[in-house]
Amino acid sequence: MFIQLLFASSATLTVGCALGVLATKNLMHSCIFLLGSLMGVAGLFATLGADFVAVTQIMVYMGGVVILMLFAVMLTGGKDFISRAQNLLGLPSSMGNKWTYSVGGLVGLVLLLTNIRLISNVMNSHAPKVIGNEYPSTVSQIGHLLVKDHVLAFEISSVLLLGALVGAAIIARPRKQK
Amino acid sequence: MMSLGSYLIISLILFVIGLVVMLSRKNIVAILLGIELILNAAALNFVAYSRYVTNNLDGHIFSLFIIVVAAAEAAVGLAIVIRFFQIKETIHIDEATQLRN
Repeated sequence: MFIQLLFASSATLTVGCALGVLATKNLMHSCIFLLGSLMGVAGLFATLGADFVAVTQIMVYMGGVVILMLFAVMLTGGKDFISRAQNLLGLPSSMGNKWTYSVGGLVGLVLLLTNIRLISNVMNSHAPKVIGNEYPSTVSQIGHLLVKDHVLAFEISSVLLLGALVGAAIIARPRKQK
Repeated sequence: MMSLGSYLIISLILFVIGLVVMLSRKNIVAILLGIELILNAAALNFVAYSRYVTNNLDGHIFSLFIIVVAAAEAAVGLAIVIRFFQIKETIHIDEATQLRN
C-alpha cells in the first residue's frame, strides 16, 4: 500500500513537473521544476527496488547538476530577460516562437502515438513478473558488479570525469579583456 | 497499477516532454534542461526492464553510468554556455553562428 502511494505520488510529480519545465516562462522556475521532476524519478527508482540508484540520483543530479544549472542561469541571465523584444505570442524571445512550438509539438505527437503502439504490444505480452514483496538492498551487489564485470567502464568513467572537469575549468576560466 | 507498462508510459511522456523542450526553446540552458529530462527517461527504462524482465542488476549499472555521463555533460555544456555569454553577451541560440570569435 505504501509502495502504491509512493508510485502514484512520484509519477504525478515527475510528469507534472516536466510539464512545468515545458510551460513556464522564467528559466529559474524551469530549473526548480526540473528539480521536482528529478525527485519524482528518484521516487520511481525507489519503487523499482533500486535504492542505490535512487540515492545517487538525489545526490548527483539534484545536488550537483541542477545547482550547476542554477549558477549558470544566474551568471548568464542579464540582458536576455529584460531587453529582448517580445514575439508574436507575447512570450520572451528565449521561449521560442510559434514555429518552434508547432514543430516540437508535431514531432512529440508523432513520437507519442507510434511509441504507444509499440508499448501496448509489450504491455499485453509481458505479464509483470512478481518477484515478491521484499526489497533487498542492492548496494553490495552493485559494488561487486562494478569491480568485477564492469571494471573497464568504471575506470574509463573516472578518466572521463577528470577530463570533463578539467576541460570545463579551462573553457570557463576568466580571461583578460582585450 | 505498478507494471512494466506504466513505467514505460511515464518514461515515454518524460522523453517526449524533453524532446519538445529541446526543439521549442531558444535558450541554451533550457535546451540542456531538455537533455537532462531525456537522459532521465532512458535511465528509468533501464531500471524498469532490469526489474521486470532480466531480473539482474545490469540495468542499475547502466543507470549509474548514465548519471555519471550526464554530470560530465552538464559541466562541459555549462562551461561552454558561460564562455559563450562572455563573448556574445547573450545565450540566445540564434546568435551561435560561428566557431571562432
